[in-house]
Amino acid sequence: MSRVMLIDRLLVIDQLCSVAGSRLSRTFHNLQELRHSASLANKVFIQRDYTDGTICKFQTKFPSELDSRIERTLFEDTVKTLNNYYAEAEKIGGQSYVEGCLACLTVYLIFLCIETSYEKVLKKISRYIQDQNEKVYGPRGLLITDPIERGMRVIEISVYEDRGSSGSSSGSSTTSSSGR
Amino acid sequence: MRRRSVFLPVSAATALLISTSTLFLVFTCPWLAVHVSPAFPPCFCSIFVFVMANFTMAMFMDAGVYPRADGDEDRDEDLVAPLFKSVCVRGVQVRMKWCSSCHFYRPPRCSHCSVCDHCVEDFDHHCPWVNNCIGRRNYRFFVLFLFSLSLLMVGVFSGALLFVLDHLESLQELHTAVSLTVMVVSGVFFIPVVGLSCFHLVLVARGRTTNEQVTGKFESGAVNPFTQGCCTNLHFLLCRPITPSYTAKAKDRLTINIQPPFIPPESRDLTPVKSKEGSVQSQKITIQSLENLEDPDSKRLSIAPLPPLPPKPDPVVLRNHLAALEESLLQSSTVLPSAHSTSPLQRSGSPSRVLHQAPRDQIGMRMSPLAPLEHGSEPSLLQSGNQLGLQAVNSRSLSLKHSSRRGSKTTEPSPIPNVQIPSRSASLSHDSLLRPSETIASQTPYRPDLGSSRSPVDLPRLPVRTCSPVFTNLNRRSPQQRDPSPVCYDSLPKPIMSSIQEREEKDRPLVCPIPPGLEAGVYDVPSRRSLPHEFRGPSSRGPTPPAYGSREFLLSSAAYGYGSRSHLCSSASSSLTRASRTNNSALLFNRSLSPSIYQSLERQSLTAIPSASYGPQKTLALLRGEQQQPQPKPGLEQP
Repeated sequence: MSRVMLIDRLLVIDQLCSVAGSRLSRTFHNLQELRHSASLANKVFIQRDYTDGTICKFQTKFPSELDSRIERTLFEDTVKTLNNYYAEAEKIGGQSYVEGCLACLTVYLIFLCIETSYEKVLKKISRYIQDQNEKVYGPRGLLITDPIERGMRVIEISVYEDRGSSGSSSGSSTTSSSGR
Repeated sequence: MRRRSVFLPVSAATALLISTSTLFLVFTCPWLAVHVSPAFPPCFCSIFVFVMANFTMAMFMDAGVYPRADGDEDRDEDLVAPLFKSVCVRGVQVRMKWCSSCHFYRPPRCSHCSVCDHCVEDFDHHCPWVNNCIGRRNYRFFVLFLFSLSLLMVGVFSGALLFVLDHLESLQELHTAVSLTVMVVSGVFFIPVVGLSCFHLVLVARGRTTNEQVTGKFESGAVNPFTQGCCTNLHFLLCRPITPSYTAKAKDRLTINIQPPFIPPESRDLTPVKSKEGSVQSQKITIQSLENLEDPDSKRLSIAPLPPLPPKPDPVVLRNHLAALEESLLQSSTVLPSAHSTSPLQRSGSPSRVLHQAPRDQIGMRMSPLAPLEHGSEPSLLQSGNQLGLQAVNSRSLSLKHSSRRGSKTTEPSPIPNVQIPSRSASLSHDSLLRPSETIASQTPYRPDLGSSRSPVDLPRLPVRTCSPVFTNLNRRSPQQRDPSPVCYDSLPKPIMSSIQEREEKDRPLVCPIPPGLEAGVYDVPSRRSLPHEFRGPSSRGPTPPAYGSREFLLSSAAYGYGSRSHLCSSASSSLTRASRTNNSALLFNRSLSPSIYQSLERQSLTAIPSASYGPQKTLALLRGEQQQPQPKPGLEQP
């Protein structure tokens, strides 16, 4: 439903009910200038899951603070996908052997030239988080911060709330940066 | 800025290494190439290059430094902040210590390097010879440096020895003298270097770090959860991918536009509230509901399903209970008394409901926006407008904390005038409490977020009388400024508070003496998360004593967190409070304590070991120093 329709309806409300205080009247008069703005309300931290050792893995336990903001399944999917990405990054396999040998042979100068597989996976993770923020978390007023910025200790989820309408002078949406 | 003297060892090591090897190469290797093997110089050169490469990597590579936390991870912790947090690593309980410099709980195997003043992942030691911390990322290079240097020294020593033995009669000759010097130097440093190499070989085989070995963490039978066997450890050491540095600057920062209205979750796992038609309520407060103005019975209005009482206090519970209250009030058609000072119930963001109701009720009764729609509710545990006021109080207290977080609003203890706008925004936030009229247009399509508050209210359990004392406290604290301390108090979990009062009634000691047998300096302090466990499903609650909201009671609840014994939970552990970490713990003592609490604190501080007793002693000192008013702690609640 468009905002214009909303505004129209609200004008109807104003006319119908006469209990509006003075503030409300002013608000209705300024409908055209109303903006919604979001402000940071809280930060939720998803801790690491150390049950399998020091491999990078985050707890999939659904934090209660997000209970009213996002579906449990979406959240768990995100964390599980991140865990899978990190497991893939830390996997010791053919790729890591090749990189190790090349590094030794080139006296570690190879690190200056190419990107390791870990870094590639981290870029994938960053893109995934960006994607999730845009499609899933942003519309719900949440923002995931890439764990690498926190030393991969926690996944930080910023919870935003609607600060309500504000005057035209201060109306703006919150832009936040995420990813690397 | 480090002192220049820290560069001495590394400079000396570098100089020695390069000069010795160069001299050996120039003066001894040609003879060795002729008389021993022509492959000797190339091997020597390759080993030397390998040594230098590893030396350089060990010296310049980031060991796995954790970036400092901004301090907002503090908020995530409970008011009574434990120094240690216990996690389970492969079945073994490992303690994570709070790092007061870096503001986070150190992950397992992480340690804070005092020389470099940062926390390092898998901290091994700080090596002065490379002037760098050795941690997860560069341990491999350090170990390889040691092994290759040992090999190099063996080669240099043996080559120089052969040369000298062959030229014994001409020791004054330059080549011989140089070779002799090289031999002596390499012989002198041979013992420590090879010794260190063997030491690290053993460490790798046992899966320990130097830090763990030296501090004796896994001595006397303690299980090391980090080892995976000798061969796997070696395999991991050599072949594990190197994690990128955490402190590298973010290269591309992409911006996300976060713009309300926000989508609420579509389904909940909680018990749904059944409408008259028996359908499950959706939680969405969307603009779609505006389209159904003609249909006041729309099911798409935002009534939260009332969940069963959770074992843990939950901000969600508050919202749900508030919704339940709405339901109950909707059902009843009683007019509320005008004693209610706030109107958080107007949070219902259902415009259609509002519109339905508005023409009927011109007088701004608080009930008015809650149209008696056909939303069946769970049997509401609250009955009357008194509970409405209670709810108001609780939501106010929550929103106080909420507002203090944001730090941009001021709370007004004055009641909101009765003349209410029927249609309200869904927000139970500060705004809605103070400026109800402004929120009419901002129909947020999501449920109010009370998640910022950490004081879930177990509404049905709190009897009515809790209103006034809490209010008293609110007023007392002059919440005009961003004063964190009242917020902390307000945000004590209400079930905990009421359960504590239950305990008081039953004469159970709130504050227990330190149980013997606990290791010095570490005793059980329940975390916030652990406290509710004890109060899981209290079956009955007595009437609220008048002292519910009193200072003494609130302090006793704080002291409960400090002094009482509680079972260790898997996720939260025992410890002393860390007064140096945040000001939260200190704030708990900003009021005069009752004598019993004082005694318990004294007891605590006396029995604690000096290093660990910083917390209680400091807070006691604070307590003695500030008896009257809470000191606002700047920077405590940082947005």
